[in-house]
Amino acid sequence: MPRSAPAVQTVDVTKVYRVGHLDYPALKGINLKIDRGELTAIMGPSGSGKSTLLNIIGALDRPTSGRVLIDGVDLRKLGEDGLALLRNKSIGFVYQSFNLIQRLTAVENVEMPLIARSVPEQVRRSRSLKLMSAVGLKGKSRKRPNELSGGEQQRVAIARALVTEPALVIADEPTGNLDSKTTLEVLNYITQVNKAMGTTFVIVTHNPEVSERTHRVVTLRDGLIEKEQHLERIDAYTK
Amino acid sequence: MLISDMFKLAVKALVDRKARSVLTILGIAIGSAVILALIASSSGLSAGVQSQVDRIGANTLIVRSAAGFYASGGQTSYQLSQDDVRILKSFQGVVDVIPFYSKGINIVSGSGTIQGSLQGVDPNQLFKLYKGLDLYEGVLPSLYDPAAAAIGYGIAFPPGSTAQLADVNQMLSVQISGVKGGMAFLVKGILAQYGSVLFSNIDDTIFISLQSAQILFKTPYYTGFYVITDTPDDVASVQQIIQTYYGANVRLIGASAILSSIQSITGQMTVFLGSIGAVSMFVAAVGITNTMFVSVMERTREIGVLKALGYRPRQIMSIFLSEAVVTGIIGGIVGTMLGYVLSFMIGGALPLSGRGPFGGGGGTAAKPVFTPELLMFSLLFPIVVSVLAGLYPAWRASRMNAVVALKYE
Repeated sequence: MPRSAPAVQTVDVTKVYRVGHLDYPALKGINLKIDRGELTAIMGPSGSGKSTLLNIIGALDRPTSGRVLIDGVDLRKLGEDGLALLRNKSIGFVYQSFNLIQRLTAVENVEMPLIARSVPEQVRRSRSLKLMSAVGLKGKSRKRPNELSGGEQQRVAIARALVTEPALVIADEPTGNLDSKTTLEVLNYITQVNKAMGTTFVIVTHNPEVSERTHRVVTLRDGLIEKEQHLERIDAYTK
Repeated sequence: MLISDMFKLAVKALVDRKARSVLTILGIAIGSAVILALIASSSGLSAGVQSQVDRIGANTLIVRSAAGFYASGGQTSYQLSQDDVRILKSFQGVVDVIPFYSKGINIVSGSGTIQGSLQGVDPNQLFKLYKGLDLYEGVLPSLYDPAAAAIGYGIAFPPGSTAQLADVNQMLSVQISGVKGGMAFLVKGILAQYGSVLFSNIDDTIFISLQSAQILFKTPYYTGFYVITDTPDDVASVQQIIQTYYGANVRLIGASAILSSIQSITGQMTVFLGSIGAVSMFVAAVGITNTMFVSVMERTREIGVLKALGYRPRQIMSIFLSEAVVTGIIGGIVGTMLGYVLSFMIGGALPLSGRGPFGGGGGTAAKPVFTPELLMFSLLFPIVVSVLAGLYPAWRASRMNAVVALKYE
């Protein structure tokens, strides 16, 4: 794969949902290129196609037409298993509602992506614990999600997204359920990882506090890109 | 995905829904237990009957006087004598006729009363009649010593008592119905432990010579005969001839007849219990499928998360199937233990005990037979059933659309 390939590239991506006999176009032709190490916010009113785009970029959903390339790999060429492997290897997911498995402990949740690829228990446990202390959850590894605060749960989810050291992290309203203080903590951590490891982030958000901290804001409306806005901070991460 | 991880996840998921898992496991365990108990006890019954038949030989038929019994058509007064020995010997297929006397007796021992029988038979024929029977101590009684006896092992050493009741060359007191004050015998020999034959426990029998019995019972008429046929196949025809000749005057007890009647009971029981077992296994399978469908539905979001984290469809299917496997393994273990206990309960209720042809109590409960194959089957069958029952729900889980699953509330 060419080193110069962008982290994410979409070419004329459309998505049409069919309900009964009616077609609902969610995306009407998205052309987007996100560089490696870029921190991108996707904004727009509800129903503008943000989440649909995010699912397509995250290889969870296939477009009705158009191409999606992740690290230069055309997703059309991958089957169900290929997409699963790609998600496991290269993509981390963070959700508004955390999506942790309630019966597992925090550290077991973090380990889940590594279990899928047969990493032995000791290796994955030590890697997960290291990551958990990096997100400030030292000593909470044995707690279950319902014993943790919202901010702590989201940090567990972030640790789970990062444990495979993915090139790309996709976040759907990651701070939507958090208060402003916790939002700030989570944002700090995201920018820190972005700087330190060069991880590409694509974040869907309504929160201007979040989008302000990114390099680029893409605004969608009615399934099309309405505007793209590059922010000043872009220099900060290239160093 | 490592197999150990798969099972750890499965166990955690099952523990998370304890009550439901326990009920599911119980369902499959009962199915497995019923099947195991049925097979073990019915094959135990067959084996028990077979061994009793083997001891006396399948070519032996017991002809017993019906005098004193209410036969069809009223009480008979026909008595069996030496003439009948000649008559029986003349029948086609009969090789030998051995007369015997017998009566029920009670022996008071330290640990209670033994219900046994007293049998007068030619001592020289004894070991020929009961194959493998042997002396434990002493000798067989001589022909003309009316007080001499060989006693069964269970009389000399009553079960449940540590003390020996009678030794060689000691006197043994016996209560006999119709004999006031009972009788005392000089123990000449003690027979080795033997067990039951045609529902009469040889270990609770006192053997005296035919002549002694004649003197003791004060009658020339025999209680019955052992009729030995040429081959086991002749038993049926000989039985037919005797029945035709004597009608209601005798009762016939044939080893093979008993065997076939017990086998037909066992056969009916097998069909009956077998259908219960099959139905309960089927119900358990439906229960597993149902439980797993509910579980897949409840965990729709979790399945979405697994997909997002990069679990392949086959891995998701394996996760759910391993829950079915764990259910099956526990169900198999619990079911096998339950079935083990249950088979003894069924065995105790089976008709392999009762009063035998010589009077006195006797017989043994059918001991269930557990072959390694049977135990393997009862351990593994629930696993197979669980996996089959879980296949479809697990497949549905693996085919779920990730985006839809993640939105599921």
